[in-house]
Amino acid sequence: MVPRGANLAVLEREPTPKDIMCGLDASGGMPRAIRKETLEVLALARRFNELVVRPGALELDRRKHEEPDYLPWDFVHEANSWGLYTMFIPKLFGGQGYNLPALSYMVEELGSACTGMANLVGVHYLGVATLCSSWNMRLMNKVMRDTVEGEKTGEPCLISLAITEPGAGTDVEEVELVSKATVTCQAKKVPGGYVVNGRKIFISNGHLSTWHMLIAYEDLASPETSTVMLAVRNGMEGFSFGRQERKMGQKGCPASELIFEDCFVPDENVCFSASEAGSMKGSAERVTMQVIDSVVSTSRAGVAGFGTGVARGAYEEALRFASETEVGGKLLINHEWAQCILAEMYKNVAVSRLTYVETNNANGMYGMFKIMQWKPVYYYLKFVPRAVIDRVVQPLLDLPAMTWLFRKVMFEWQKDSDWQCTSGWGSLAKFTATDAGVRNCQLALELMGRAGLRHDRGAEKHLRDSKLLQIYEGTNQLNRLNVFKCFIGRQVPEAQVFED
Amino acid sequence: MGSRIDEELRMLEEMALDFAERELKDRREECDHYPYAPLEENVLEKACDVGFFCMTVPEELEGGAMGVEALSLVLKDISRTDASLAGVIFTTALAQELVLAAGAGSVLAGAPGNGSWRESLIAFPSFDDAAENLGLSAERAGGAGYTLTGKVEYVVLGGLASRALLPAAVPGVDGYSFFLLDLDAEGVRKSEPVLSLGLHSCPAVDLELDGARAALVGEEGLGASYFTDCADRLSIPAAAISTGIMKGCLDEALEYSRQRFQGGREIVNWSELRRILADMATVQATADALVACACVRAEADEPGWRLLARATALQVQAAACDVTTDGIQVLGGNGYMEDYGQEKRFRDAKQVQALLGLVPMRKLEYITRVIEGEPT
Ligand SMILES: Cc1cc2nc3c(=O)[nH]c(=O)nc-3n(C[C@H](O)[C@H](O)[C@H](O)COP(=O)(O)OP(=O)(O)OC[C@H]3O[C@@H](n4cnc5c(N)ncnc54)[C@H](O)[C@@H]3O)c2cc1C
Repeated sequence: MVPRGANLAVLEREPTPKDIMCGLDASGGMPRAIRKETLEVLALARRFNELVVRPGALELDRRKHEEPDYLPWDFVHEANSWGLYTMFIPKLFGGQGYNLPALSYMVEELGSACTGMANLVGVHYLGVATLCSSWNMRLMNKVMRDTVEGEKTGEPCLISLAITEPGAGTDVEEVELVSKATVTCQAKKVPGGYVVNGRKIFISNGHLSTWHMLIAYEDLASPETSTVMLAVRNGMEGFSFGRQERKMGQKGCPASELIFEDCFVPDENVCFSASEAGSMKGSAERVTMQVIDSVVSTSRAGVAGFGTGVARGAYEEALRFASETEVGGKLLINHEWAQCILAEMYKNVAVSRLTYVETNNANGMYGMFKIMQWKPVYYYLKFVPRAVIDRVVQPLLDLPAMTWLFRKVMFEWQKDSDWQCTSGWGSLAKFTATDAGVRNCQLALELMGRAGLRHDRGAEKHLRDSKLLQIYEGTNQLNRLNVFKCFIGRQVPEAQVFED
Repeated sequence: MGSRIDEELRMLEEMALDFAERELKDRREECDHYPYAPLEENVLEKACDVGFFCMTVPEELEGGAMGVEALSLVLKDISRTDASLAGVIFTTALAQELVLAAGAGSVLAGAPGNGSWRESLIAFPSFDDAAENLGLSAERAGGAGYTLTGKVEYVVLGGLASRALLPAAVPGVDGYSFFLLDLDAEGVRKSEPVLSLGLHSCPAVDLELDGARAALVGEEGLGASYFTDCADRLSIPAAAISTGIMKGCLDEALEYSRQRFQGGREIVNWSELRRILADMATVQATADALVACACVRAEADEPGWRLLARATALQVQAAACDVTTDGIQVLGGNGYMEDYGQEKRFRDAKQVQALLGLVPMRKLEYITRVIEGEPT
């Protein structure tokens, strides 16, 4: 008989239960109401698709072909009136408080009809996630309540994330590379705030957003130790929009240039700075890494949702085509080979979905969603009257102690194995689902032949839209390297990443 | 003899590359926008003047009397810069070959020589196996004429050429037949150019015909045999377009990755990026070799060249889709933007893969012929 302890010891080996059982671990602790909430989200997304996305997707894409500078304000107003920009903002900050993992289901749904429009909704939550990863409770409250107010007044208030610069894309998405990045967007400390100079490019929803979560650097020669995250609002002096990129796909969602010329950002708009990180346990570099990692761990689950969505959209177009087209004298759907291709496409969708679900489980157990999904907090926020939150809890958010407390829990108490699990799963989901998205689009076009090439059949648009997903939120190569770093390299003491 | 041909091909290659550089390169982005600006008339005129629109037409019909190898070479070299013109040349060549296979070459006489590009081009649904796009029916209409009625989708060059070669069913006759239609004739309705994935300067239209007069090409009911014969031969130039796209893509990827810095070095010096470039380069080189081999065997009429041509097209067109996907990836976000050439190549490669019909059906046809004992 092997002693019980010896059996347990083997569980320390790779792959660790923590990494392979996120779903199992999460299931016990997860509030049951999450399922019902997620169904509500799914139903809403399907109705929104029926009434808004499907009727308008091809038209918007065609219009952008003709008028590249057109901005889809009509769509944004519509999404705003449906409450899509506050759905996943916690009730604590005035939002509707739907659980964040449900966002992936939502963007899958929207993405299956149009990834560009899905981005017009989903990228706003990339901004939200960035803001939240700073755990600056006062600013989170201020900025997100602006979005809530925008819903009431009918003036959409979206949030964007601005990291990428003309000379630095991959480098500023990966903490291990930031030190070598050629960054030019500088935030110089001056009394009362920062003065920002530089440009950000490719910023999704830039022209449509009111708030921009700007990542800049105090010392351009040492960005890894001098990162600052600033909340920049439209209208601040020295801040302006540049050009809108001419993209192959996802044309509905603008990619914008943001220009900063001696733009003064007051201290009260500093979400997070390296000097604040320095005052915490752990180095400034480590905390900065945790901030960036917690953004991408959640946002990559969203991108995996887009990937799953576009994979599904392509599958659905192919299925429709196969069901109504005769080839070689019989319906395509009745050719055995076509059935196997459709099954392969269905599998690509299903597997992609599983990866984002598991990533969200990891984030719920060890990452950003942890606090919100902790049953006492979840049920308190769900059932306590909004007026109590607004009157009693909200004023507390302005206290520095709140920010201190949340940062303590989220950064100082986070173990290495926690961020490895969430970040690793985020990357794995991202490249699995987005590769599957592109693959399904290619298969759909092969199955559909000439019909697949036509804009009016939708499949070619899915293909153009899908390719972007392999690039943003870190290229898929970078995400593969992150999986190596998080799950594989740690098993081999000799392994070094980015030391090629 | 061999060296004379080599010299001719070398000169042809130079001419095609030079043409692409002078006439296509700077207009590429502008011509790619929607609403379509088809290739400027003067480019088409020049292409016509240098003989691109009658390369394989016999000498007695005032054509270039060149083989599939020369055609493939030109299409490849042009596609390195912009595959749209290659699509124009290919579609016309396919229609001309069908006419020739049907023994109706006389209808081509005069057209290439009289210098008008519109008269030289022949519209054709080149993204179909003609048997799968049979929306037209033909009726005999006194004398040698017929009238065509019905709809036919995605007729490439339908908005540019003066004539179209179209498949149609003749009631009471098995199989389908080809007809030559004057696109300005009464009873012809053309749609706007169809907004499509790629090859924007080689646009297609949907046609609706209502008793439009047309001439039978070849014999009634023999359309499929003409098509199979020509699709075998034209599979090689179709593959050549893909090799050209790949070459252009690889060149741009290499150049960009030597200039772009990330992580403190040129990205070409990250070994993962090198691996991707290596994949692209080896696939491109072998695709090139495959097309060259298929050309030689086809020109020599060696047994098995037909199936090799089909296999080459399937293989090389799929490879171009992978290479161009990587081609965007190497450029990161810039690769997705219209300011660079990669996104167009990605779209064009996928579009070109659909030439001559559904990929899975072409594969099944290939293996059926193998099983039936046709030499490989
Ligand atoms: C339409 C669009 C929308 C976007 N939206 C946003 C947004 O909202 N906010 C934002 O901040 N950014 C956004 N981005 C930027 C996006 O995140 C970057 O494009 C992406 O991170 C890649 O950076 P890059 O384009 O500079 O490519 P580069 O970093 O220059 O990469 C070029 C190539 O080199 C490879 N490479 C680089 N470094 C390495 C390495 N160390 N090892 C191996 N290979 C390497 C890359 O994988 C890639 O193949 C968007 C981009 C696009 C195209």
